Amino acid sequence: MVRGAGRGGRGIPGRGGMGRPPFSRPRVLMLRPPFDLILAEPAFPRCKPAPDDAALTQALLKRHAELCPTPTEQSAVLSIVTKLQTVLDNLVVAPGDFAACQLEEVRQVGSYKKGTMMAGKNVADIVVIMKTLPTKEAVEGLSNKVNEELNKLMRAEGLGNVSSTCHERGFTVTAATAAVRVLVTTLHQNLRKLEPEVHLDYKVISSHLAAIRHSRWFEENAHHSSIKVLIRLLRDMCARHSGLEPLTPWMIDLLAHHCIMNNPARQALPINVAFRRSLSLLAGGLFLPGCAGLPDPCEAAHSRAHTALDLAAQDHAAATAQTLLRVVARGGHRYVLGLQAFEGGKDISTEITVWDGVVVSPLAPAYHDSPEPMDTEDKDDDGIQDGVAA
Amino acid sequence: MMAANNYFGFTHGGTQYGAATASAAYGGQTGYAVAPAATAATYGTQRAAATGYDTAYQAAAATQGNLHAAHAHAHAAAAAASAYDASKSAYYQQAAAAYPTAAPPQPQPAYDTTAKPAYSTPATYAQQYGQGGARGSGGAKPAYGSVYTATTAAASYPSQPYTAPAAQPAKQTANRGNSAYDTALYNAASMYVAQQKTGGGGGWKNYNKSGVGATPQRRPKPQPKAQQLHYCDVCRISCAGPQTYKEHLEGQKHKKKEAAVKVAAAGGAAGARACGASALRCELCDVTCTGADAYAAHVRGIKHQKVVKLHTMLGKPIPSTEPTKLTPAKKTVAGAPKVSFVASGGLSTVGASSSVPRPADKEDEKVEEEDEPEVQPVGQDYIEEIRGDDGKALSFNCKLCDCKFNDPNAKEMHMKGRRHRLQYKKKVQPDLEVKVKPSMHQRKLAEAKAQRMLVRDELWARRRMHEAGEDDERAYWEGADWWRGPHHHHHHQGMGMGYGPVGRRPETSDDRHVLAKHAEIYPPEQQLQEIQRAVSHTEKALKSLSDALADHARPKNQAGKAVIKTEDKKDDKPEGKEDGRDNQLFSFVGEGEAAPASGDGAGAGGAGGAPVGGPGVRALKGVMRVGLLAKGLLLRGDRDVRLVVLCHDRPTVTLLKRVANDLPHHLNKVKGPNEDAKYKVELQPAEGAVQVSDGTVNVVVSLTSAVMREPAEGGDIKRDDKDVLPRQKCLDALAALRHAKWFQARAASLQSCVIIIRIMRDLCRRIPNWTPLNPYAMELLVSGVMQSASGALSPGEALRRVMEALAGGLILEHGPGLRDPCEKELVDALGNMPAQKREDLTASAQQFLRQIAFRQINKVLDMEPLPKVKHASGGWKFPRKRRRSNTDADQDTHNGDGKVVKTEEKADVSEINSNAKK
Repeated sequence: MVRGAGRGGRGIPGRGGMGRPPFSRPRVLMLRPPFDLILAEPAFPRCKPAPDDAALTQALLKRHAELCPTPTEQSAVLSIVTKLQTVLDNLVVAPGDFAACQLEEVRQVGSYKKGTMMAGKNVADIVVIMKTLPTKEAVEGLSNKVNEELNKLMRAEGLGNVSSTCHERGFTVTAATAAVRVLVTTLHQNLRKLEPEVHLDYKVISSHLAAIRHSRWFEENAHHSSIKVLIRLLRDMCARHSGLEPLTPWMIDLLAHHCIMNNPARQALPINVAFRRSLSLLAGGLFLPGCAGLPDPCEAAHSRAHTALDLAAQDHAAATAQTLLRVVARGGHRYVLGLQAFEGGKDISTEITVWDGVVVSPLAPAYHDSPEPMDTEDKDDDGIQDGVAA
Repeated sequence: MMAANNYFGFTHGGTQYGAATASAAYGGQTGYAVAPAATAATYGTQRAAATGYDTAYQAAAATQGNLHAAHAHAHAAAAAASAYDASKSAYYQQAAAAYPTAAPPQPQPAYDTTAKPAYSTPATYAQQYGQGGARGSGGAKPAYGSVYTATTAAASYPSQPYTAPAAQPAKQTANRGNSAYDTALYNAASMYVAQQKTGGGGGWKNYNKSGVGATPQRRPKPQPKAQQLHYCDVCRISCAGPQTYKEHLEGQKHKKKEAAVKVAAAGGAAGARACGASALRCELCDVTCTGADAYAAHVRGIKHQKVVKLHTMLGKPIPSTEPTKLTPAKKTVAGAPKVSFVASGGLSTVGASSSVPRPADKEDEKVEEEDEPEVQPVGQDYIEEIRGDDGKALSFNCKLCDCKFNDPNAKEMHMKGRRHRLQYKKKVQPDLEVKVKPSMHQRKLAEAKAQRMLVRDELWARRRMHEAGEDDERAYWEGADWWRGPHHHHHHQGMGMGYGPVGRRPETSDDRHVLAKHAEIYPPEQQLQEIQRAVSHTEKALKSLSDALADHARPKNQAGKAVIKTEDKKDDKPEGKEDGRDNQLFSFVGEGEAAPASGDGAGAGGAGGAPVGGPGVRALKGVMRVGLLAKGLLLRGDRDVRLVVLCHDRPTVTLLKRVANDLPHHLNKVKGPNEDAKYKVELQPAEGAVQVSDGTVNVVVSLTSAVMREPAEGGDIKRDDKDVLPRQKCLDALAALRHAKWFQARAASLQSCVIIIRIMRDLCRRIPNWTPLNPYAMELLVSGVMQSASGALSPGEALRRVMEALAGGLILEHGPGLRDPCEKELVDALGNMPAQKREDLTASAQQFLRQIAFRQINKVLDMEPLPKVKHASGGWKFPRKRRRSNTDADQDTHNGDGKVVKTEEKADVSEINSNAKK
């Protein structure tokens, strides 16, 4: 107090010279949620007739039907997942002479668990929590063991062999028509014991733990089938447009959930409204720096889902969504949804298109990775981007 | 245990001692070694002990020289050995306690007093002795344990041992034993003692497994070759001659070792002894090995072999290669009811008799024998074999510990080793149990660390409290004057709108940019004054005109219900308002005549349409500022302002002409004599307005009437009336009136709204894509966006939110449209905007939004980026979460491209720094 007064001027820190370490005091700055038309409806009452969205709705449902995995695919995945789960469960309960690692728990995660698998992508995910630390050798040992046991099972049922290949996330068990990714992680308290050269990567390990939280959250909050429909549509859309590709499945899950469920009535919105809303939110900067974005329910307070993207990706994603929004507004949803290929498979979000004489042009990126770090620096300093800074 | 048996073999067969006195003596000495410890044993058996001691003393006295004394003792012991079985262990203990004092060369004045009364029969002693020896080999381990604890206990609870035993002589003897030991070391004969002491020190631990009264096997010993061999028992070396031996004894190395041994014997041994139960010990070399493998290696080793050779030469008992198992010392509570110990350490120099401690109570012997299961080798997977060309394993590499071995045995040992297990625990299996070696040093470090943490925590807590207070205060001051700086100029004659209370949010860079831009586009004081003056004059002139018209009309309108006195009105003037600067309707109707409509002549309370229904007979009822002027949205360079005059009836061209004709006269009248403004009045019949211009400011005065809104009322005929002003223009003027009122009621009160609308007006003026957005629609949009925000927005946030709304497709075709709140029907304020314009506007807003998000708000606002402000707080207060693209970015680069500012900034920084240092 006295110190501050002595210095005078409000630009001069009251404690600038104290050299206090940065972690002393949590400092929270809540960021604003973006403008959301659904939530802002009282301020913008509709004054013209609602557009006829039947065409869009039809297109959305049609595309969704295409994206759903066929029963054959589903049963193939189910079969191998069940077997693998059996094998792993046995290892948890009775490891026997298996000493490469100790397993704590085995959980199904990801799109298979959530019921949002896409046609043609028959890969289920299973997270294995090791009690021991996940060394590469342990993963290899587990992979071999699982492969051996699983093959025994398969032989017993007269099915084809499976093969197992290790990678940096764990290993993948591949059968004839389906595959299961076994994602290795370890107990939470072991996380800080990880060493980069001995064990699997810390980020990978913790992302697998997060995957468990995600599927649990999903089970509890996002079981509405509209959400799953929207997730499939969005994932497909994101996969087909380069700018939206970096969006992770988790971001899409959260976005879909937000678009369907987060409205004043708390009732699921129709799919066409939700689809427009998701594009509109993305275009409105939901995933841009300085925006509250979507809070990640599975992380510590104030963490935002989209901060996993780097700045260039955030910019690109927003720009792509903005172009797509205008294309959809002009009636180009068939291209956006992928029901119709655009000019030989070109990315519609990067092309100038003409709709009934209205020219829709893509946007230039705003983010420049310039040596002058004004973009990021400033944001960091006064935006306190990530909520808790301290 | 076998080792122990062998070691103390003499205890059993007394006859053998007879034959080989020397060897027996040695054996006895080994037994002795424990004597000092044994002295700590119980007092319960004191009497018996004293008797035991008695004989020992006598024997000692009988012999000349220490060596002889020892022999004698041994002899005596041997003779009486047969009796030992019957003797109580307790006796033995006491005897041991007494022994040290028996050393002839040591002057022990206290000895006599304590021990003498007890002297009685040699037989007893022999018994004791034998017993002691046997016990020593048999069940001494518990005794050791108790001794150990007793000594430590004595240290920590000094009062305990001294209370009860005060009357007991044994204690004194024991204490003296210590000093006896010291002196003994310098005695030539003490070599035996020393050997006993160290050997015994280890030896105690040997006994853990032997049952009470176990009968040890004596191992035949070779005859000692040379008695004169100078052997240092502490260091386990032999010296060539007395001279060297003496030198050795005086040497640093020996003293060190001796001190260590002493400490160990006195109970300090705890540290070293307390190691894992799995530790194995080579008695002979006094070496502790961590495992069976290590022990095996040691036994094979050259050092061990040397000692064995030496001992063989000396004819000393060689314990079997069977390792001694170390068990952690047993803890006894000091001052336990039955057992009390006295600090031991007194090494008897000569005491040839049993010195192996024995516990008095059986319970003490039952020491839990935790047999540590053999450690399982772990981490086989992490040892890779390096094979030669022939496929034979050449060497092994442990990846966990990063070490190599050539020998498979070494590999095995490594895998069982502590270091490897620790690594395994650390890197593979966190719950693996690894015995931790408690090191005094480490513990001290940990304690010190904990202490430091404690102190620091407290310090921080205190500092935090302190700072919380300071912070609040600072925030208060900052919050208080946050807007003060940039905003003072807004409060100008009612042109600016009030701002709601502001939060304590820090000013962001966006805010600063918006405010800077706002300051830039905000009209200068002079312009505002010019406009103010012109408008004020026009309003006054209009009122004057209205009065004149009313006066003129009165004679015609004989039916005038109200008596109007112009004089009254003039009187009213000072009280009422002089013009419409509060942006409300400036009613021309005087107080008296407007009584039914509104009691207040100033007309502020009356709504726009209020006077309509009144009894007013005036043609011109009032004037109101509309548009930019009323909303306070004037920007730098704006010269055109609008006034709307409400007429009683449909405004006609005739009326307009009359106004245009008479206005100059009234203008000159209201204008002060010293004001030289020249007003030019221009008739614009097509617009239904007159324009008053003073060269710089154009005031457009539109005539309208509320009656124009009701077309039903014989509209057809009236519309045909050529004299009436264009209907659309009149309606527009009316709408402008309503818009102004809406704005004042709804938009102006929203935080940041007026600022943002000004900014947006500037944007619409500058950028072609934005031009189609009509001002009213833009105002609706901005106010809607502000309104939908959950809380007050800072200027930067507000601008961004507007862009978000537009970028999200608010004005695209499928959007809800902008409902005009000033119309009864659903009217889209933006209904006439063509699709391409909407598209372009949306695209532009989208680009702007991303530019704002990426710190390029200056591009949106078309201005130079502002230099970065030095934050009120240090940079470290906002730890960066995002990786910076340029790590060496410091203050210089923070400034963006404000190169000019750089030097200034630097100066600022240094100034701040120097301030901070003060």
